[in-house]
Amino acid sequence: MSRKKTAEEYQKTFAFRFFRWLSGEKDPYIGKVEMRPQKEYQPDQKAALRHEKEHDAIMDRVYDTEHNKWLYRFHRLYQATSILFCLFLIALLLVTISYLPPNGAVTRPVNNEVAVRYIEKGLEETGAVNIVAGMILDYRAFDTLGESHVLFAATITVLILLRLNKTEKDEAEVSDRRFEPKNDAILQLVATFLVPIIIIFGIYIILNGHLGPGGGFSGGAVIGAGLVLYLNAFGFKKTERFFTEKTYKWICFFSLSFYCLAKSYSFYTGANQLHSVIPKGTPGAILSSGLILPLNIAVGLVVACTIYAFYAMFRKGGF
Amino acid sequence: MLMNAFEWIRLIVGCLFILTGMVIFFTELFGVFHFEYVLNRMHAAAMGDTLGISACLIGLMIFSGLNFTTLKMFLIIVFLWFASPVSSHVLSRLEAATNDNLSAHCEIYEDLEVLERELAAAKEDKNTEMKEASAS
Amino acid sequence: MEKEMIYHTLFILLLIVLSVMLLICLIRAVKGPRVADRLMAVNMMGTMVMVMISILALLLQEGYLVDICLIYAMISFLSVVVISKVYIGIYEEQHHNQEAAEGGNADERV
Repeated sequence: MSRKKTAEEYQKTFAFRFFRWLSGEKDPYIGKVEMRPQKEYQPDQKAALRHEKEHDAIMDRVYDTEHNKWLYRFHRLYQATSILFCLFLIALLLVTISYLPPNGAVTRPVNNEVAVRYIEKGLEETGAVNIVAGMILDYRAFDTLGESHVLFAATITVLILLRLNKTEKDEAEVSDRRFEPKNDAILQLVATFLVPIIIIFGIYIILNGHLGPGGGFSGGAVIGAGLVLYLNAFGFKKTERFFTEKTYKWICFFSLSFYCLAKSYSFYTGANQLHSVIPKGTPGAILSSGLILPLNIAVGLVVACTIYAFYAMFRKGGF
Repeated sequence: MLMNAFEWIRLIVGCLFILTGMVIFFTELFGVFHFEYVLNRMHAAAMGDTLGISACLIGLMIFSGLNFTTLKMFLIIVFLWFASPVSSHVLSRLEAATNDNLSAHCEIYEDLEVLERELAAAKEDKNTEMKEASAS
Repeated sequence: MEKEMIYHTLFILLLIVLSVMLLICLIRAVKGPRVADRLMAVNMMGTMVMVMISILALLLQEGYLVDICLIYAMISFLSVVVISKVYIGIYEEQHHNQEAAEGGNADERV
């Protein structure tokens, strides 16, 4: 039995104030801090024209190679020097590489005790047949967590730079609709065949991450490519049915927080020679190697969403 | 002895397929440099994308025997047979949409009915010719 | 032993021939007078690179390299579709703006 509150009563509660603050409807500093409205920038037309003219005049004089013989010679010399410099750089790098020890030799500096440890004990300690997956998602999982967050931060930055407000968005959509080829029947027919295949292949790569080459990053990229193909064939209206800004937000939030929580277990169980409670399973089976499979899925979701979000934002300035 | 002969047959058949693929790739390159205009060049390029790569991959499949690698190569062939004609179509669409001077290179029919009428007329001409030939 | 040598030499020869063809394709991509020319040349190069990766997979006895080949096919198809679509959109928009500007001038003259 819940008690119904009136609107006035509800406005006094903590929850109302908290959610109002969360959604940014009320600024707590209004009325307490002096704020002046920003003046709109008005460019000086005359000064801009004069500046442009001066710039053109300078450029004309600087690049007047027909009348200035020395300038012409300098240009030729510059080109010759740049070619020579490139050749010198290539030769230098090739010579340096020829002095390196051959690939896989014992004397390489990479072949120290760390790699030996990964190869010898990797299967036993992580349960992953693919040593690379065991390395990036078990031994160095915090590194991978940082990488996923870098992707998320990059999306947020692009969102800040490219986001359009409502009317601009509508205009962009209209111009998009008008000028780009829409409803290409051939492309649509093939996309209906290929998009499911591409997405299934991406899922295969993600789920197979701990058994063979692949994993969250590459599988996520493949799934993102499938989504981009779908978007190209059918337009934004169809993709907005299942993928909006909100979907992106929730998927990223759940994946990243799941990763965070799942990897923090080593703080209170696995670290310092304590035994982990998560079973390793038999190596080679799909459900094995502890937390690597769910972590791969989380990373793959973040990467797929990020690729799709980048594409949508560069095309339309929003989802 | 039998096994050995089988191996040799496999090698030779695979080599033949790969050689076919290489010849097709060479033809593709020749056509790409020989023709004058993009829409003509596209014929040559599309041939290599489907036929050339399938011949090469069938040769490699014969080399590798029956395993997962063969299956994946077969998947590549299937994928390219779906995708390559579409990419050719998209490319020709790009060319037709962005070239203002397209009529200098090929005939353009604004109205498809005109084309259909011309084709029907050409067909009738041919039929009458054949009838005359059979009558005489 | 002898058979392996034959395969090895064959694969190396094929790789050399394919890389020469790749360079010739690159000439077309640099030279091509129109955008469609360049895209077509890049698509051709993608096809040849796919054959090269498959040969490498057999040469190095690493079956998983064919996975990369499959992904390469997908990405090259996708790139052609996306680039041509974006280019058509930009071209049409510029064309439209130009026509609008010219139409405005004509009105002023009248």
